[in-house]
Amino acid sequence: MNEFEKVGVSFVKDLRRIVGERAVIYEDREALEAYSSDESGGVYYSHLPEVVVKPENAKQISEIVKLAGDARVPITPRGAGSGLAGGAVPIYGGVVISFERMNKILEIDEENLVAVSEPGVVTNDLCKKVAERNLYYAGYPMSVETSFIGGNVATNAGGSKVIKYGNTVHHILGVEAVLPSGETVRFGGKRRKDSSGYDFVRLLAGSEGTLALFTKIFVNLIPLPGKTVDLLVPFKSTEDAVRNVAVAIKEGGVLPTAVEFIDKLSVKLGEKYNNVVLPFSDTAEAYLIVQFEGKSREELEKIYVNAGKALISHGAMNVFVADNRTNSDKIWKVRRNWLEGIKAFDPYVPTGDVVVPTSEIPKIIDFIKILSKESGVKIPVAGHAADGNLHPAPMKPEDMNPAAWKDYSEEILDKIALKAAELGGAVSGEHGIGFIKKRVLAETKPAQVSIMRSLKRVFDPNGILNPGKLFDL
Amino acid sequence: MRIGVLVKQVPATENVKIDEKTGVMMRSGAESELNPLDMYAVEEAVRIKERLGGEVVVLSMGPPSAEYAVRDALSMGCDRGFLISDRLFAGSDTLATARILSAAILKLGGFDMIFAGERATDGETGQVGPGVAARLGVSLITYVRKISDVDNFRVVAERAVEEGTEIVEAALPALITVVKEINEPRVPDLAGKIGSMFAQIPVLSGKDISINKEKVGLKGSPTRVAKVFYPKLTRNGRIIDGKDPEKAVAELIRFLKEKSIL
Repeated sequence: MNEFEKVGVSFVKDLRRIVGERAVIYEDREALEAYSSDESGGVYYSHLPEVVVKPENAKQISEIVKLAGDARVPITPRGAGSGLAGGAVPIYGGVVISFERMNKILEIDEENLVAVSEPGVVTNDLCKKVAERNLYYAGYPMSVETSFIGGNVATNAGGSKVIKYGNTVHHILGVEAVLPSGETVRFGGKRRKDSSGYDFVRLLAGSEGTLALFTKIFVNLIPLPGKTVDLLVPFKSTEDAVRNVAVAIKEGGVLPTAVEFIDKLSVKLGEKYNNVVLPFSDTAEAYLIVQFEGKSREELEKIYVNAGKALISHGAMNVFVADNRTNSDKIWKVRRNWLEGIKAFDPYVPTGDVVVPTSEIPKIIDFIKILSKESGVKIPVAGHAADGNLHPAPMKPEDMNPAAWKDYSEEILDKIALKAAELGGAVSGEHGIGFIKKRVLAETKPAQVSIMRSLKRVFDPNGILNPGKLFDL
Repeated sequence: MRIGVLVKQVPATENVKIDEKTGVMMRSGAESELNPLDMYAVEEAVRIKERLGGEVVVLSMGPPSAEYAVRDALSMGCDRGFLISDRLFAGSDTLATARILSAAILKLGGFDMIFAGERATDGETGQVGPGVAARLGVSLITYVRKISDVDNFRVVAERAVEEGTEIVEAALPALITVVKEINEPRVPDLAGKIGSMFAQIPVLSGKDISINKEKVGLKGSPTRVAKVFYPKLTRNGRIIDGKDPEKAVAELIRFLKEKSIL
């Protein structure tokens, strides 16, 4: 498999006929480079597409897919390019279909509590638009102001609010998609129940563009939650912090919206990058950020007093309470800009993304600590502790050359991913597999990968949709 | 050292909406919060108290719900708080508000130092602090970005002005309005929050502060809003064809000169 044809002049001419002259990028290296990588690690994982096309509707996509199928040219779909696993990187060249022009919110249906969106809508914009009507899209991951809803569904993204609301797939009621045959199909829709056979919405969420290309997405809306309060909780040791994740989840009397973990090294780098100082940052080895939602100030007070007292009695150094925008921003800044903060000091840093059952967080943290010592590599860690999803970010030792570092860092991240799987977790919690994690996926879920290969052949017999992602055929 | 802090409750939104017909701020429905700039005033007051001893008293004029702004200031380390609230005060402009606040301050026995934020994020006038200083006849230093020295008799402060920095020394009592550069306000801790929940916050009415009814509220407010409108942002884009770079640069320079930019 994976023997593809090169993009030729007549192919490009046909693309231009379908989408118009200005919506095709060809033979312009500088412009093509913008579509050659995502945020997984720049130069290491970049591949130049031969041509980029920016369709505006499902009909154009269908024609492009048919054209590529006939010509055996690989297609790589691309959202905002904010992915961290290389899912949008055109590793076989070919054509990149960018969804940037399919950026309209088609409908906000208040009666059914559903929004219908094109895949290229920035999820943050969707949230803002529905908030104007006091509605809430709870599947919003943390990548503030960048990622597209289409990419969120394609990777089945997570974020910090999964403990309360679940990940992206829990908020997707339906999709319209173009299959590799060029046929446009709809799975699910505005209905909330569907017991009629296989659940294709769930199958396509997380399929990373290997089975179909989304053209419409039906998202679930709920009433906008009232107020929030954020607690910043420093701990003397990472063990204390990790042990208190369960306390934070149970003791407020309601489920928190988020329990985030961030270690000392991350905080130190984040303070420098964001020009802020967090309380106790010289003595605390780790922090939790705990967020609760409530209807009124009084209700929230009750919740955070209960949770805060419990955290202190279980070893928290103190509990800081942010119940207004200014203080909440201050508390979240270091965590939200975590990766940018580290990249400011080490542009070569790759981000891991592993998930374990929450009870196993201490073990995976211990493993990372030992690995850090043994390998002589600093590994700052942050993550969504409430759902066991951690992001280790190994930093290149100063004296190591970048080429050697690529292999070394991959080896480190692979070890952590395999350990997570061994502990009952998975090699990716929310960023997806792309092509960077194929090895560890194949090693940890052979039976699943084998079925995925069979499914892929049913959907995409020519193997033209996002080839080389998730697994090799 | 007796320190007073003036705080205001403001709508918790980035965009304050104004009814263009009536000129009145639309507050209903919006969440409220302590004016973000006042947090810097509270922080500076508490830091001076922590250094020199004494107490910090926080005052806010507003509807009963403004009690929350007082509690938020208490959670940051203020010792006592008062809410100055009376139906008579409704519709007070900056002049009437300054009268009310200065009367309350006199009623409480005055302060050695009074801190206020540079302005509130809703009205954006920055007039109330200076108005209070004028009515009390105390020293006034505005736009303070650093208190370089303070003792029981005098204060030396750095003012952020357009041309740079002014260093001003003033005798106490003094009223100081602060800008964001002055400090990094603390996030209150759980103990501070719990303390503020149970604090008694006395309410001072017009009677309590012995103020002339005619001088407050709409009656006592000479400010009239003639018209309120949203400024129109106009942008004109122009693309200069770059096929002939020399010609394009010449055209760009001509254009910038015409607009007096070059």
